[in-house]
Amino acid sequence: MNGTPSLGVSVRGLLRNAIEVYRDTPDVATTLRRHLDRMDEPLRVAIAGKVKSGKSTLLNALVGEEVAATDAAECTRVLTWYRDAMSPRVALHPVDGVPRQVPIHRRNGALHIDLQGASPEQLDRIVVDWPSQHLRALTLIDTPGIASLSTEVSARTTAFLTPEDEAATADAVVYLMRHLHGSDIGFLESFHDRGVAKANPVNAIAVLCRVDEVGGGRVDALLSARKIAQRYRTDPKLRGLCQTVVPVAGLLACTGRTLRQAEFIAIGQLATAPRADVERILLSVDRFVCSTEDLPASLTDLTVSPVDVRVGLLARLGLFGVRLAVTLVRQGHHQPARLAAELVRRSGLDDLRQVLSAQFTERADLLKARSALLALDVVLQRDPRPRTGPLAAEVERILAGAHEFAELRLLSSLRSGVLPLPPEAAAEAERLLGGSGRAPTARLGLERHDPDEIRRAGLDALGRWRRRAENPLSSRAVTDAARIVVRSCEGLLAETTAQS
Amino acid sequence: MSAVLQLVEVALAATRAYGRADLTGRLRRTRERLADPAVRVLVAGEFKQGKSSLVNALINAPVCPVDADVATAVPTVVRHAEAPGAVLVRQTEEGETVERIRVALEALPEVIKETRPGADPQRNHVEVGIPRELLAQGLTLVDTPGVGGLGSVHGASMMAALPGADAVLFVSDASQEYTATELEFLLQARNVCPTVACVLAKIDFYPEWRRIAELDRRHLAAAGVDAGLLPVSATLRLHAARTEDQALNAESGFPRLITHLRDEVLARAEELDRCSAVHDVLAVADQLTATMSAELAILRDPGRAQDLVAELERAERRADDLRQRSARWQQTLGDGITDLTADVDYDLRDRMRQIVRDAEKELDEVDPATVADQFATWLHQRLSAAATANFLWAGQRARWLAGRVAEHFAEDGRAILPELPGDARISLDDTLFELPRSERFGLGEKLMLGMRGGYGGALMFGMLGTLAGMALLNPISIAAGVLLGGKTVRDERKRLRLRRQMDAKNAVRRHVDDVIFQVGKESRDMLRRVQRELRDHFTSRAEELQRSLTESLSAARDAFRREESDRKQRIQDLQAELERVAKLAESARRLAEGEVTPG
Repeated sequence: MNGTPSLGVSVRGLLRNAIEVYRDTPDVATTLRRHLDRMDEPLRVAIAGKVKSGKSTLLNALVGEEVAATDAAECTRVLTWYRDAMSPRVALHPVDGVPRQVPIHRRNGALHIDLQGASPEQLDRIVVDWPSQHLRALTLIDTPGIASLSTEVSARTTAFLTPEDEAATADAVVYLMRHLHGSDIGFLESFHDRGVAKANPVNAIAVLCRVDEVGGGRVDALLSARKIAQRYRTDPKLRGLCQTVVPVAGLLACTGRTLRQAEFIAIGQLATAPRADVERILLSVDRFVCSTEDLPASLTDLTVSPVDVRVGLLARLGLFGVRLAVTLVRQGHHQPARLAAELVRRSGLDDLRQVLSAQFTERADLLKARSALLALDVVLQRDPRPRTGPLAAEVERILAGAHEFAELRLLSSLRSGVLPLPPEAAAEAERLLGGSGRAPTARLGLERHDPDEIRRAGLDALGRWRRRAENPLSSRAVTDAARIVVRSCEGLLAETTAQS
Repeated sequence: MSAVLQLVEVALAATRAYGRADLTGRLRRTRERLADPAVRVLVAGEFKQGKSSLVNALINAPVCPVDADVATAVPTVVRHAEAPGAVLVRQTEEGETVERIRVALEALPEVIKETRPGADPQRNHVEVGIPRELLAQGLTLVDTPGVGGLGSVHGASMMAALPGADAVLFVSDASQEYTATELEFLLQARNVCPTVACVLAKIDFYPEWRRIAELDRRHLAAAGVDAGLLPVSATLRLHAARTEDQALNAESGFPRLITHLRDEVLARAEELDRCSAVHDVLAVADQLTATMSAELAILRDPGRAQDLVAELERAERRADDLRQRSARWQQTLGDGITDLTADVDYDLRDRMRQIVRDAEKELDEVDPATVADQFATWLHQRLSAAATANFLWAGQRARWLAGRVAEHFAEDGRAILPELPGDARISLDDTLFELPRSERFGLGEKLMLGMRGGYGGALMFGMLGTLAGMALLNPISIAAGVLLGGKTVRDERKRLRLRRQMDAKNAVRRHVDDVIFQVGKESRDMLRRVQRELRDHFTSRAEELQRSLTESLSAARDAFRREESDRKQRIQDLQAELERVAKLAESARRLAEGEVTPG
């Protein structure tokens, strides 16, 4: 804005200059070139969390296909990338050696990757190319579960504190956490990834996962989950670690997006069968998968009468999912598409995608630029050359000067609560800085896009924050913060004027 | 009235008749113990595993509030009462006194929600009374807040409550197998609590529960924890109660759990009570018999009177010695406590030193400014875990010492006893002696308070204060710092970081010193209490013995001086009395063998 080149353009230029300087050192140049290429690639989002928190299930739900293998036992053991491509392809990238392609298997509709005898330790990552429109804007990275803090204290610390030495593989992180009590040591454990993304509150969001299990699978589980997420959102410990907390029932979302005709028929028949009999078998998992002879007479002639059909249904939906699906069909969701859509809606996946889009996709350029600058900074420090002085100065100039970074920095200090601002002012500042989305409507907290209203609200906010910036009683930190907010207001007003 | 209680009443009447106030006192205590048949069953486990639901389903009443989100914050004690009702026990605002507020059962969830979580459990809890057949037998269920990891403060106070419990029901849900912390808790529980049973909850919801149960059983076997695993579903049980569906009730697994509670927990506690009561009655009968036998022996055979009196005199002197400080059991006790104090202190210092080492190692790699909060939590948890482990270990050792003292006392006692004719013998086998199960031997209330308030406070002002102050010197927040880069800032930051690390290490050392000081004091106090308790117990036993011997002696002297005419009458009287006491002893013995006889 204001005639200066955009952040993306200046970072790209800077990277090109750096590649020129390091032309004689091929591996440094290659690294930098990769970062340059990355600027044009989709944003990389890692999915992290403790063992068995349902990372792969959530990934499948986001992609809408069963691409990641899931199991009751621990199963993802190598970093696995899923990215959009023209044709499906799976490549193993060993720690040392060249990547090799492996054939693609499908097992029960899910993708199965044969490691061909390689042990997980020997592999740096697996890259799955998969044609999917849902991977177009985001490349997803499935990570192995984080083991318990108590057994791996050292791993935690290394992961925690190496942000200066190494470039990040992912631009943003989605943390999965199960329902825990605030004083449980497991509470914050979910937030220690292995340094894949240099997470800070700006590029991380948390997902409260497996919410269909909350409260023993009662019908109101999802409602309770929303309340829990709301509570977590206001937890000061979490606020300093992530943008927001979204409840998602991964299994429900995944099955909703991949609902099969046969499954729909089975659920439909359960919904129309005598209610009392259905309630009886839905009481417990044991009753649901009882032998055909033990089934109530009214259910013996249906597609669900063979045991394996019921076992399959249970595996795909869980007891809560079956209960919910049957209720939904009874309430009038008679087409497979409508049932599937409703399951997905209830699972909270739509909310998650909205948050992903507001927090990550809209900020993709900024986050990628941040990753690139971090990487370049590392290179410049490790291998200084006579000609790198101006480059380092330029990195510093962009980081300190670009308003987008100023916004990010202020956002993260607002979230950590170090600024002495009254709570409502802090909340407004967060919103104006783009904390809940970078669109003018999101910044101003408006319902719909109306240029006049935006202008009015924008000028209002501008005036308020100008007064705060000029108030002689404000502390230095508050004045500085207010100036940044003022600039954000000016930017959004300019943007709106330019559009209309 | 139970047969045991009847027996004790009869024996009490006998001691009164013979004017043995010392023995009366002993039996009175026995009666008190019997009158309170409470068997405390602690329902323990991690957060949100379904502990409250389990208690509710056990007694078929919603006494413990169940919420999808909010976890139980204060312990709820559920016991039998004629009419349902609840009492909230909590500290007043000033924190000095405890108030008891009567509340209706329906209002309980609201009341419990208002209670501050993490408050001192001994002074803040809810007592619920409800008429239930299962509870009427003396079962008291204690629903506890989640452990939250053995290392957490909650976990530590839970461990501290363990020695006071007769049984532990360990609850974990069927969503996943036991974690390392859960197993560690089970191991500790088994060491301090006689009966531990594992409950696998929510089996109506998790299709894989059989596999999880199998894995859990294997974990238990591998860890050497001898505890049954009972799969249950509270949902099914409550549904069965609503629809009066017997088959569903059986499916819920609760009938098996109740049988287990009855057969294992209640029966075992009753057995223990009965044994110790019978033991007391037998001991009293023996003492009474001894006096009369001595008299009878002289009446029957006056020629041997001189010898017998001389023997009794010697025995009395030795019995007096038994009371003295120089007695062997006294020495065992004194030395034992001294050794124990030293060992416990060493153990505590060793544990603390290890923590300091780990903390310093951690601090070498970490910038304290970035992890202050987590580091403080980590340290706090390690410290409370270590303090608790040290305490429990001290308790176990003290129990073992009590056994040794009891053995020595019995051996010495037996050696001094004169060979009395007839079936007179004085039982001194006191190995049944158990440390009183009062809360006094738990991790001290003050200590727990200290860990929560004082130590936390010291940590906040001592260590966190240092760290926070340091962090302020660097106006750039962590994230911004990463973004900023720049050489000058980086060097400056490194220097500051080193200083912060040094300061943090010093703070840790100071803090651990404080902890050793406090915990060490609590430990020593606990051991001193044990010493006093043991000394008083065995001294009063020795006094009883001496009193019996003195009485025997004077009875023998009286008998010697008795007129021939009196003598026959007295012999008859004594024989009748002895027969009565023998009958008492006989019914006590029969009771010990499990037969119920009217007294």
